[in-house]
Amino acid sequence: MAIENILLALFYVLIFPGIWFLATYGMTLEWVDRKLGAVLQNRVGPPWFQPMADFIKLVSKEVIIPKACDNVMFRNLPYFAVAGVTAAMMMIPVWNGALFSFEGDLIAVIYLLTIPTATFFLAGWSSTSPYAAIGSMRVLTQLFAYEVPLMLALIGPAILAGSWNITAISEHFARNPAYMPAQIAGFLVAVLALQGKLERLPFDSPHAKTEIVGGQFTEYTGRLLAFFNMAVSMEMVVGAALLNAVFLGGGLGLTGIGAFVLFMLKTFGVVLLLVVLRVLMARIRIEQMVNFCWQILAPLAMAQIVFDIFLKIRLG
Amino acid sequence: MSKISIPLGPQHPGLKEPINFGLVLEGEQIDKATVNLGYNHRGIEKAAEERTYIQDIYLLERVCGICSHSHTTCYITCVEEIAKAEIPERAKAIRVLVAELERIHSHLLWLGIAAYEIGFDTLFMYVWRDREQVLDCLELVGGNRVHYAINTLGGVRRDITPEIKAELLKRVDILEARTKYYTTLATEETTVLARTQKVGVLPKDLAIKLGTNGPTGRASGLARDVRKDEPYLIYDKLDFKLITADTCDVFGRVVVRVLETVESCKIIRQVLNYLPEGPISIKVPWKVPEGEAVNRYEAPRGEDIHYVKGNGTDKPERVKVRAPTLANYHAVPHMLEGGWMADVPLVIAAIDPCMSCSDRALVTDRAAARSAVWSWEEMRRNGIEFYKRRGVDFSKVVLK
Amino acid sequence: MSDLELEERLKKRLEDKFGGDISEFTIQRRRRLWLTVKPERLVDMMRFLYSEMEFNHLSTITGMDLGENLAAFYHTTDQHTIITVRAKTPRATPVLPTVRDVFAGTESYERELEDLFGIKIEGLPPGRHYPLPDDFPPGQHPLRKDWKLTDAYPEPAVKEAK
Repeated sequence: MAIENILLALFYVLIFPGIWFLATYGMTLEWVDRKLGAVLQNRVGPPWFQPMADFIKLVSKEVIIPKACDNVMFRNLPYFAVAGVTAAMMMIPVWNGALFSFEGDLIAVIYLLTIPTATFFLAGWSSTSPYAAIGSMRVLTQLFAYEVPLMLALIGPAILAGSWNITAISEHFARNPAYMPAQIAGFLVAVLALQGKLERLPFDSPHAKTEIVGGQFTEYTGRLLAFFNMAVSMEMVVGAALLNAVFLGGGLGLTGIGAFVLFMLKTFGVVLLLVVLRVLMARIRIEQMVNFCWQILAPLAMAQIVFDIFLKIRLG
Repeated sequence: MSKISIPLGPQHPGLKEPINFGLVLEGEQIDKATVNLGYNHRGIEKAAEERTYIQDIYLLERVCGICSHSHTTCYITCVEEIAKAEIPERAKAIRVLVAELERIHSHLLWLGIAAYEIGFDTLFMYVWRDREQVLDCLELVGGNRVHYAINTLGGVRRDITPEIKAELLKRVDILEARTKYYTTLATEETTVLARTQKVGVLPKDLAIKLGTNGPTGRASGLARDVRKDEPYLIYDKLDFKLITADTCDVFGRVVVRVLETVESCKIIRQVLNYLPEGPISIKVPWKVPEGEAVNRYEAPRGEDIHYVKGNGTDKPERVKVRAPTLANYHAVPHMLEGGWMADVPLVIAAIDPCMSCSDRALVTDRAAARSAVWSWEEMRRNGIEFYKRRGVDFSKVVLK
Repeated sequence: MSDLELEERLKKRLEDKFGGDISEFTIQRRRRLWLTVKPERLVDMMRFLYSEMEFNHLSTITGMDLGENLAAFYHTTDQHTIITVRAKTPRATPVLPTVRDVFAGTESYERELEDLFGIKIEGLPPGRHYPLPDDFPPGQHPLRKDWKLTDAYPEPAVKEAK
């Protein structure tokens, strides 16, 4: 085990495509989200450094921990959220191939992406505030609602590619771009489920401010809240990157700068979709969200799978 | 599942003004709701007894920021009735004009807030952008955006010039077009429908029993509108529809309010075209004779009622104000119980509550009394000291 | 007086029913009737107005300090006419019955009478202060004419702090 390997691993985790890249790109996307939302809502919107400024401001603020809550858990959960998202990013190809690629990493990524959601739930639960308790119950309810459609939607491309490896799936699409339009239903389901995962409008009832104040984050302040917010921004990058790799063919066979630019453009495109969804709709109730996911999204994803199996059999 | 009780207010992001709701939740559903009022007392009724009739106009305007014209008109109608003063027709028309502009302003504000409560920020931003049109109109007529103070004893303070009339007509057209667009939006957008239909149901018989009024009552099928039932000012000469809905839910309240806004646009046009020539005010002696009067007024939120008793001096013996919201509060727990936690802010917002209106009747609190004694210089010195202790020195700043 | 025909009819109905319990009946103008009723007949009259005369809306209750007596004015309406029913009660022992059984949504009006005028409302369940703050000195009723702001809040010692 050479020292270079360790340094390289550290570089991957801390700089690229790890925490530094994720944080920077996440903040950029957060700004795009806010600015674009503002423009669509006929407002001015924040300057480009606003997410960064918010982060710095929050980090410098006092951390207040409620007496009644579980101190250790309360303090450490935000870092778990960031770590979970970063670990997931390691397996998603940014351009030619992921850093750690193995058969079945698609499943691993899905599970790693539930870690932030689980920390949200625990954060709310350990805060012991009634608002946070209701918020965390909603986090969990919502998790059960969107997780199944998301998983089903991701299975479709995996069946087509005949592999559970994300890199293999994106390479498959890069080789056969004609398959991509056939995945449109699955892609839409995945975008909507991702919107639910990121707890954005219309699925933001876990922290609906007019109902339950800050939801699961009600008692969080200062540095801890800053890291939770960062985890959410990072999750947006990872989610967009995952959709890019699984549905949009990743780098489309390109290498180097070209592939990187393509990655940026396509994740941008996914975020654009997320923003438009957010701006167009009112928040729906948690029980309507569950009904929507189970009655519309899940059957749609199932239909996509059946269609994919048919396609696979016909076209060999 | 065990029951959780959570407080909603007096400070809560879903509420714009202080009020407290105690909610007992069973999971996501509301088992029991109670309402607590009284966080915003300013002692206006007592203060009104210690001021002259003219001063009271401006005091009562401050009962509420949104329906400031409603309260003064209702009050001044009572005073003029006691003083047996018949005000000029032109003054009446201008009062109606401002009243309807105010109704548009209030209903659009409400629509924005309702959209915000269900997380539809886009509608909120759009509505409030267009609401600027009506605020500009009010500024044009009264000289101010919120407290227009158009009323005075015996008439109105400002006249409508032909230029103002032309400008108002232009802006009312814009407002009407936009309101019609929001009517379609609010009644056809799927997520809005999902959040408003069958939510906060108040059946008609209960609405009568609880004394519900205004758009809240009209959405439950109560055809009650003081403008129609007991026409004041020049409402008997105007042609407008009484809007009701029979869905009894929040959706009905949305529909009633947006359609009323369209009606108000029509009324404004009629008034501007009617506007008779003549003086805008008459002289009324400052000493009002003994007597009493009670009058009702259709404020944007519902029936506003004022009782005034004069004792022959220049100060009233008693002024009683009952704002529409107070009559609607008791319906809220009924609307909430059995509903969803997520609908609470919307259901509360759907009666268009105005806490300041309701809690008007008390003494200044201790903190306010103390700060009133402080002079400007003292406050400034205190502020400089406060920031010095925190390492910022403002003492070099010169106030111009 | 043909234009006050409706008002005369309303007056007659009430006088037929309550006779001697009514005093000071005036028809002030069109759509405005004022009368005083004995407090013990107040609830009966409210019920009669509500169920048999369609005066099913109690707009508000105005408290009044009349010197010797305290009074409450019940402004009922059928949406076209306002009948104001006055009920007087001696200042020394002010007591009035609740009308909540007839008009359900009147709790806050009656609490106002209790807090601001010190009229005890019989039948009103115990509850929070409304609209006075919870720590308001007991026994003080701000809307009575003899009440001064300094009774409840003596001049704060701001001048000494100077």
